[in-house]
Amino acid sequence: MKTFLRNISTIVIVSGVLLASCKKDFLSTKPLNQASAEATWSDPNLSTAFVTELYNGLSTGLLDQMNNDCLTDNALYNFGKQDIMEGNVSPDHLSGLQDRYEWNAMYARIRSANISLENLAKAPLDSALVNRLEGEAYFMRAYFYNQLLRFYGGVPLVKSSYSATATDFTIARSSYEDCVNFILSDLDQAAALLSNKTMDKGRATTDAALALKARVLTYAASDLHDPAKLSTISTVSGFAHPELLGYTTSDHDGRWTKAQAAAKAVIDLGKYGYMLNLSAPVSATDGFTNYQNSYLSRNGGEAEIIFARYYSNAKDEWGAWYGRNNCTNGYHGWTSSEPTQNLVDDYEALDGTGAAHDFSWNNPVDAATPYANRDPRFYASILYDGAPWKPRTPDGAGIDPYNEIQMGTYQTGSASAPVAYFGLDTRNGPLENWNGTRTGYAIRKFMDPNPAIVDQNTRSEVPSPQIRFTEVVFNYIEACLELGDEATAKTWLNKIRFRSGMPAVTETGPALVQRYRRERNKEMLFEEQRFFDARRWMIAPTTLGNKVRIMKITGTLKAGKTVPIYRYNTDNYSYTYTTQEIDPGVENRAWADKVYFPPISRDEMNKNNKLVQNPGY
Amino acid sequence: MEYNLHRTVNLLNVSKIALGQLLIALLFVSTSSAGTANISKTKFATSHGAALNKLLAQIKVTGKITDQTTGESLIGVSVKVKGTANGTVTDINGNFTLNVPDDGTLVVSFIGYTTAEVPIQGKTTLNIKLQSANKGLNEVVVVGYGVQKKITVTGSVTAVKGEELVKSPAVNLSNSIAGRMPGVIATNASGEPGYDGSTISVRGINTLGSNAPLIVIDGVPAPAGQTNIDRINPADVESISVLKDASAAIYGARAANGVILVTTKHGKLGKPDLSYTYNHGWAQPTVIPKMANSTEYATMVDEIDLYNLPSQYWSQAWTAFKTTGSFTRPDNGATTTATFSPTDFQKFADHSDPWGHPNTDWFKATLKDWSPQTRQNVQLSGGSENIKYLTSIGYENQDAYYKNSATGYKQYDLRLNVDAKVNKYVNTSIGVSGRQENRFFPAGESAGDIFRMLTRGYPYRPAYWPNGLPGPDIENGQQPVLITTNATGYDRDTRYVVQTNGKIVIDIPNVPGLKVTGNVAIDKYIKEEKTWQTPWYVYSWDNVTKDANGVPVLTKVARGPAQAHLFQSDEDQLSTMLEGIISYDHSFGGHNVTFLAGVQKEKSNQSYFDASRKYYASTAIDQLSWGGNTEIGNSGSAWERARLNYFGRVGYNYKEKYLAEFLWRADGSYMFPTTHRFGFFPGISAGWRISEESFFKDNIKFFQNLKLRGSWGQMGNDQVNRPNSDQLAEYAYLPLYNTNTYIINGAPTQTLTEGTAPNPSFTWETANNSDAALEGTILNGKLDFVLEAFYNVRTNILWAPTASVPATGIPGPLLPPKNYGKVTNKGVEFQFNWHDKIGEVRYNVGINGSYIKNRINVWDEPPGFPSYQTSIGHPIGSQLYYVYDGIFSTQAEVDAFNTAHPGAYSGVGESTIRVGDMKFKDIGNDNGQKVPDGKIDGYDQVRMDAGHTPTFQGGLNFGVQYKGFDLSVLLQGATGAKITLQTESGTIGNFLQWSYDHRWTVDNQSTKDPRTVDRNNQYFSGGYYDSTGKLIGGNTYWLLNMNYIRLKNIELGYTIPPSITSKVGISNLRLYANGLNVFTLAKQNIYDPESTSSDGHYYPQARVINLGASVKF
Repeated sequence: MKTFLRNISTIVIVSGVLLASCKKDFLSTKPLNQASAEATWSDPNLSTAFVTELYNGLSTGLLDQMNNDCLTDNALYNFGKQDIMEGNVSPDHLSGLQDRYEWNAMYARIRSANISLENLAKAPLDSALVNRLEGEAYFMRAYFYNQLLRFYGGVPLVKSSYSATATDFTIARSSYEDCVNFILSDLDQAAALLSNKTMDKGRATTDAALALKARVLTYAASDLHDPAKLSTISTVSGFAHPELLGYTTSDHDGRWTKAQAAAKAVIDLGKYGYMLNLSAPVSATDGFTNYQNSYLSRNGGEAEIIFARYYSNAKDEWGAWYGRNNCTNGYHGWTSSEPTQNLVDDYEALDGTGAAHDFSWNNPVDAATPYANRDPRFYASILYDGAPWKPRTPDGAGIDPYNEIQMGTYQTGSASAPVAYFGLDTRNGPLENWNGTRTGYAIRKFMDPNPAIVDQNTRSEVPSPQIRFTEVVFNYIEACLELGDEATAKTWLNKIRFRSGMPAVTETGPALVQRYRRERNKEMLFEEQRFFDARRWMIAPTTLGNKVRIMKITGTLKAGKTVPIYRYNTDNYSYTYTTQEIDPGVENRAWADKVYFPPISRDEMNKNNKLVQNPGY
Repeated sequence: MEYNLHRTVNLLNVSKIALGQLLIALLFVSTSSAGTANISKTKFATSHGAALNKLLAQIKVTGKITDQTTGESLIGVSVKVKGTANGTVTDINGNFTLNVPDDGTLVVSFIGYTTAEVPIQGKTTLNIKLQSANKGLNEVVVVGYGVQKKITVTGSVTAVKGEELVKSPAVNLSNSIAGRMPGVIATNASGEPGYDGSTISVRGINTLGSNAPLIVIDGVPAPAGQTNIDRINPADVESISVLKDASAAIYGARAANGVILVTTKHGKLGKPDLSYTYNHGWAQPTVIPKMANSTEYATMVDEIDLYNLPSQYWSQAWTAFKTTGSFTRPDNGATTTATFSPTDFQKFADHSDPWGHPNTDWFKATLKDWSPQTRQNVQLSGGSENIKYLTSIGYENQDAYYKNSATGYKQYDLRLNVDAKVNKYVNTSIGVSGRQENRFFPAGESAGDIFRMLTRGYPYRPAYWPNGLPGPDIENGQQPVLITTNATGYDRDTRYVVQTNGKIVIDIPNVPGLKVTGNVAIDKYIKEEKTWQTPWYVYSWDNVTKDANGVPVLTKVARGPAQAHLFQSDEDQLSTMLEGIISYDHSFGGHNVTFLAGVQKEKSNQSYFDASRKYYASTAIDQLSWGGNTEIGNSGSAWERARLNYFGRVGYNYKEKYLAEFLWRADGSYMFPTTHRFGFFPGISAGWRISEESFFKDNIKFFQNLKLRGSWGQMGNDQVNRPNSDQLAEYAYLPLYNTNTYIINGAPTQTLTEGTAPNPSFTWETANNSDAALEGTILNGKLDFVLEAFYNVRTNILWAPTASVPATGIPGPLLPPKNYGKVTNKGVEFQFNWHDKIGEVRYNVGINGSYIKNRINVWDEPPGFPSYQTSIGHPIGSQLYYVYDGIFSTQAEVDAFNTAHPGAYSGVGESTIRVGDMKFKDIGNDNGQKVPDGKIDGYDQVRMDAGHTPTFQGGLNFGVQYKGFDLSVLLQGATGAKITLQTESGTIGNFLQWSYDHRWTVDNQSTKDPRTVDRNNQYFSGGYYDSTGKLIGGNTYWLLNMNYIRLKNIELGYTIPPSITSKVGISNLRLYANGLNVFTLAKQNIYDPESTSSDGHYYPQARVINLGASVKF
């Protein structure tokens, strides 16, 4: 009996030990570094944080190392040819695809927007906050869908988030029209939900929703999406699914009327715009300053911003290195996005009376002094030979104590025994010449001119405007032109020109449309417009398809002159300016109709058998 | 075996109940038999006085049993009092304790040895030497939760002794493994001090995710800060065993990739032994990539300029470049000036302009010829009957290859192992080891950055100006001769590791063979890092300005960050392990039975924080609080992990002839959702010692041992990472959000981002490993061999279906793991060891090797893949390649092709073929059929088995001893690995000389090699790896064969005759020299053949020559 009891007690003890070691929650460790969905969507701050993350989908905004304009006639990328510009993209070879349009990146953000909307709908939070957050989520979902739509055409409309346990992930592309309507509906929701809300700088607003709506409607009304015009594209003519790329019925005036009304609604808010109330051109100096203020969003230029992506020194982000990535090698920069001669030639020239004419190399005055008396926006946008710029770093200061851009090959010493001298900002210069420009130009737009910002190792806080008021005005002008209201169009076009010191336009009819298009391109340079404008106006073959032209400058000492340290000076030097096509091995541009609508990657096609590829691939 | 998830739970319950009952039963047995014994004692006491007197005359005898020839301690030796059942077996150190009549006789028997009878004659201490019937049969090997005689082991266990490992001068223990154990694959991908470990895999690649084996040190699985064996002091290692098959099943949960058991040295009975070892070595890179010189580089850069022109002008333009330095196009008058003019070439050739036209060898300018390293160790060990100890103190110091190096590694380590016999029934041991690891680096620049800049460094730019000042940086301040030194600040990474383990073994009184063992381990790991980066200075010349004496005037320029920057971080981990084991060994009538069962709990906690400041008023003070008050940064995080496991072993053998073993483990891991947390992992193995059969023994005399063995087992793996990341996919069953920021109102504002789209239902990945082997000893023990084959099938592989779920569904990085992959991995292994002596010369030769190949059976494949591109059926890591098919070498060929096939290469990015371009094979059409369609696009890629892991790895070792001399040599080799050559060359940086030697030029129109390209700007330049590790646009031309054979290790030693040294109190003094990676024969000599880097942006592997001495007192 005693033994039995002892055995029983042993069993009890051992079982106790076993049970203790099997405490159920021993393995239930907690994630200490992550918030649960449940906690997030019942907490106002965490819910807000989730929605705020959507804005990171804007990526660098416009301020990429390779500006989107490098995929247009405006600029050339310094580091490797962009095969899309040679017409050589394919589903296996997606060249020049930037993450702001990249399929995977956009759908990842769309999923987050869907998760936000699904959870906010049932979140036990203050309804004012829920409305605001829903408004932001609708806006961003529309934004991301529009990025996809304007790049690929109609895309799959994923309206709710998939569960990881879903068995079917395939989904077909929606028609172009359905996508437009879906985006507009999201924007209407956003505008309504955000109305009368005070929004922090950087967040979506009702006004941003209205402005984006104007962009979407402008694009939708454009030639590219009109069935008659669309079908003239060689690759589209035999395409079985034109509804993916444009409307199936024509309604030119109806669509432009909607676009016009949408733009007008933003203008009528009366809250935006910088120096757009002038009735005559400002001086060239003021024009320069005004334009610079408008793109730097300072000194009143903030009023241009309807929606922007901001930078802060408190956070190291790639877009804040725009200066280092794009200033010249003579400043230890990388000159990544280089304006072309094609662009430079498009800036008008001014004469002494203030009248403007199209710059021409056949005009001997223009040709002799190509950088004199140009549209003030040229000076604010582009670093050219002789342009004053920031103090050089110490290794450049001895070579260029004058802080002027050197894009040419010059002579130093005496005219009788000249020594060849390669400009500091060229590919033969003494500083990091492999980063030198190939076109003879560098970008200045969006660079902070503050000399304290030493671009090579200092970030800048220039914001990236995503929707600028001037774009809305242009959209309005374009709608007016399409609807035959030249007077209104001219009034607004002139306001934009007056701000930068340019005289009123004189053209009418088709010439006015041409003038408008050139004006839009220069004003909105490097703002991610050209890639789409050239397509929707269907002028890509004769613009984006042109060979890149570049500038070669030589400065020869004039007789009797002696210059120990080079500086731009027409008293000492005679300059020759030669434009030439870039060597084809660098980038041999040619238009192919298929690149109107870039391809969907083979990877994604392989994963989703309902997808229809864009035509021509 | 596959079982559904719900059955797992049932299996768990079953195993829990089984274990509980087993434990209870064993305890029950112990208590009841104890009771019986007491009762019988009482009986003796009352009715058999004489017997009682006899009992009282017993004395306690302790002893040690060793091998007569080798002096090795023998364990498991049966010691019995003659004529009684009273007996015991020796412990792990060969010791025994027994109460015996003072006039009795001990019968000492052990398989493979001649049985000895030893009369007690009143002695209480006995040292018994057994005569080996056949050496080799008594070797023991450490296995999971125990030690087994090698001849009775039924699993695949391979081992190496510590004394072999210390023959390598490698500071990092993992670098001493390669070539020593078949099936244990070690690849050393970097020689950087502090990060110079080899990646070790057991039987190659078995799964899509982590293939890291489990490390167990002195019975403690993966102690904190110890996911590899890198930093264990080699001098402290008694042995390393590797469990390659189902023998690892006792570690079920984490044993799928094999288990590496490290046993550290313990004290032995005897007088205190003091030994001191000193090693001084010199290291240098095995291979430095040979780069182009100034003339070669300038030629290639001019070729880049040339090839930018329309190809019809190449020939005349090249002539123009060589004569005038520029060419004007006849069609449009555009002038192209070659980057380097004929004058430049003249100056490169005649070395007349050291300022403007140097010829810099950046590697030579930056790296020393030899870099010192030191290893020292003091050990004191000894012990008495009741307490044994071993203390070891080590110091290592390793310098990097750089001149005035900021990089280095130092380690201080201490180990204390104490074994105590508390009383008759209770043995304990306590192990404490601690170490400090100091890693030093230059601030802000990784070895990858440094070697990137060394390979990019322009030969025509000076590392140092003729006056000795450092030349300009390559970019962003990166000047190799500066960023390798403390000129940029410093990065100090200090880690503290303290590992303790305590063990108590209680022999249950009166039940021989029944033991209860308790283990506890507490590990602490602390990592502190401090990075202080300050601006540094280079000297720049504008190529023009000279002083009055005509000497160029240099400008001192600050480079690097605009501001000094301080970053400090602290990481702290505490891991605890608690374990209870009950075991019972019993022998009766030739039947030997072993039971073992245990329960184990493991828990780890980690916390981390960091802080940073900028805008220092003065760089004189490198402390956080002296930084400016803007742009202050900080962050922090934490995690906790837990495991709960039950395990056991049942072993049986009959006369050591028929052997069988069953191992099991029920594992619970926090990695899985609550309902799928536990997995049950069984392993069975069996052996048949044919040589013990009389029909064999009597007929085949030259076999001393022949064993056939086989095993099958299942093991688990929970180490699953997030897609394309090395982060664990923890809590992938919960919807969780990570924190980030976005600028709102001008300041970073908190944001939340989805971490994983949760999968509520996933569980253990299962390894189903089978093994069969034949092992034996022949020719009087002179030749041992093992022939082995294995077949591993990994099922339920946890993998995120990133290749089949479209981006419109769930983005790849958010996909959770699912159980669905299947990979088979099979291979053969062999090992032969011969040892003999010729006169006084003793020698041994061993050869081992393994050939292993895996194949994906099931995994995530895009549904739309053409059949010839699927990765199923191929090894893990296979990639798609365009197939190189020669060169368009002449203009005529190009013209004909462009006419016949306009735009044929548009799909890969080239509209018009030019001369010197590469041809690809036309393989598939747009419908995914293997039919050429006249154009090159994605359908022309084929799947190639070209991974970084060798399929064959082997070693040949050779040792000779003659009088005081000893020599040991290890040749090691591998075949089957490939890498893709991808350098960052062109206008951005220098070319390999290989590229110069292998290129098409206008003057030499190669049919084999393409023309010079700038970086990777042509369709044929080799492609790139995307963020998921997939090669995009690669072709087979660039594949490098990494086969090699190398003199991995050689050591020559001389022991000064003890007759001389003993006069000064030294019992043993040995001097030796050894080397690592002394000599290599490789298929390619661009990079070290163990390299896994495509571009040379890594710290090369080391060749080490070392001199050492060891002294024993």
